[in-house]
Amino acid sequence: MDKILITGVGSGLGRLVARELRSRMEVIGVDRAPAKRFPPGVSVQRLDLRKRPFEELMRKERPRIVLHLALSDAADDRAARRGDREAAATRALLEHCVEYGVERLVVQSSGLVYGAFAANPYRMDEGTPVSGAANGPGIRRWVEADALVASFIWQFPEVETALLRFVPILGRSFGSGVGAYLQLPRVPMAMGFDPMAQFIAEEDAVRALVAAIDHPLRGIYNVTGPGEVPLSTAIRECHRVAWRIPSPLLRRVLAALHGRGLTAFPPGLTDFLKYPVCLDGRRFAAATGFRPKIDLPEIFGRMRR
Amino acid sequence: MANEMTPPNAISDLIGAFKPLAWRRLENEIRARIARVPSELNGYGYDHYGMHPEDVVRVALPGSLLYQRYFKVETHDIDRVPAGRVLLIANHAGQLPFDAMMLGMAMLLEAEPPRICRGMAEYWVSELPFVNVVATRMGSMVGTPRNCVSMLENDECVMVFPEGVRGMNKTWKERYRLQRFGTGFMRLALQTGTPIVPVGIVGSEEQQPGLANWRGLARLLGMPAFPITPTFPWLGPLGLMPLPVKYHLCFGEPMRFEGSEKDEDRLIDDRIAHVRDAVMEQLDRGLALRRGIFG
Repeated sequence: MDKILITGVGSGLGRLVARELRSRMEVIGVDRAPAKRFPPGVSVQRLDLRKRPFEELMRKERPRIVLHLALSDAADDRAARRGDREAAATRALLEHCVEYGVERLVVQSSGLVYGAFAANPYRMDEGTPVSGAANGPGIRRWVEADALVASFIWQFPEVETALLRFVPILGRSFGSGVGAYLQLPRVPMAMGFDPMAQFIAEEDAVRALVAAIDHPLRGIYNVTGPGEVPLSTAIRECHRVAWRIPSPLLRRVLAALHGRGLTAFPPGLTDFLKYPVCLDGRRFAAATGFRPKIDLPEIFGRMRR
Repeated sequence: MANEMTPPNAISDLIGAFKPLAWRRLENEIRARIARVPSELNGYGYDHYGMHPEDVVRVALPGSLLYQRYFKVETHDIDRVPAGRVLLIANHAGQLPFDAMMLGMAMLLEAEPPRICRGMAEYWVSELPFVNVVATRMGSMVGTPRNCVSMLENDECVMVFPEGVRGMNKTWKERYRLQRFGTGFMRLALQTGTPIVPVGIVGSEEQQPGLANWRGLARLLGMPAFPITPTFPWLGPLGLMPLPVKYHLCFGEPMRFEGSEKDEDRLIDDRIAHVRDAVMEQLDRGLALRRGIFG
């Protein structure tokens, strides 16, 4: 039986992937947060990727496959306090992968690393410059970790590495990122802007990760969902109320509200309310045959409370 | 599907009941034509690029009044525009892009089947509040080569004004004199195997006679140009109203070019000279057809 190590297994996506794989693989889960309510057959350890006990685990278990989920799912205010943990943890993990003979590495990243800019093409392929760092500190740490993995792909060809950049993942178990944004009681938008936005259901994201584990992929792949709609349509379909703030004031208003705990929306991400970040997922679809199964009305329907 | 999702709105129904009959008839006609546009919409009524037919109707209504009543547009040989991917290459003039709007309206109201003309917008358009949303819903995109290739590969009808701002803000004495053409469109046409239809737009060159272009002030205000006309800026925003000139849109035979988009500039320039001559030919045809600037 194949042995797979999953980092960030305590996240919504981590639990779903672990449940999906436990029947055919030996699943070792690692998370920094205390682990609760895990399905049987999944061993979960509370470890920090940068610390010695994690290296000892890699040395002892020697997993053939590593699924790195701990890089993403951030960009909320909790992540902002965590400093540069994503990049440091990712770097430690990459070193261990080479050291202890991991054959296949799948990393979950986000398409937001490309950044939100006025001149963004209507769909961005994998060759688009990763410029998200210019949008704010919340994205910058992602971009750093993403760039580490991107260069690792070419530096260490002995590890079959797939870096997956996902469009925003929505689902019941997603309490952070774009999911949290669409759950706000009043959803901030930039007045006079309504960028097209793409989404993918968490089940489809899990299927994409499993497809990446099962296929010999090497390189960077965008993973897209069933389509795109204007942001205002997404908010309406999630039965939320859009709250349009004049764009010159947007950053300051959000910073003030955020500072007083009145909104969970990180002010560093205001550019993403103005300019589209839509991905071209054809490369991943061609390499794995992956097609999303859950359409947009169903994705939004599940976000209603 | 989109209609099932939006709740019935009593107020807009009430307003609808008081609309003049002619207006309602025009609205229905435009709606019927837009329904025949070859396009791929998702369940919410948007295409991949963000075009939304419901919003197109809203803009096309006043647009068609401008088209039929104000500029009294006449088209000549619009059936020369082939089905599938096509680049419409036209002259650009008149301070405000009414020429682009009328070309778009012509393709919607008179082409068979009706087409949505995709515009390639300047970068700063996507930074203007509201304007960027309207442009996207009408089917326009930021004019990056990548966007244009994607649209052509999707068999869209894309209009390009290779004179750009150089043409739009030229002065009265330069009317019907084509400015230098940009080269981007030719490489995109070669790359995607797209036929080029030259279009001569007669009328826009006189709609707002430019006396001068105050470049210094334009730079200061961050605008692409600051035109001085007999009415602007003297009458304020009202001075931007174009004269009720008569428009003629003359379409030439589709031109197909062989070669590689990686050819050196010299070879590309030769082909562009051909297109430029063809646009000029259509302009001359339109000028010969008209009886006067307003009639």
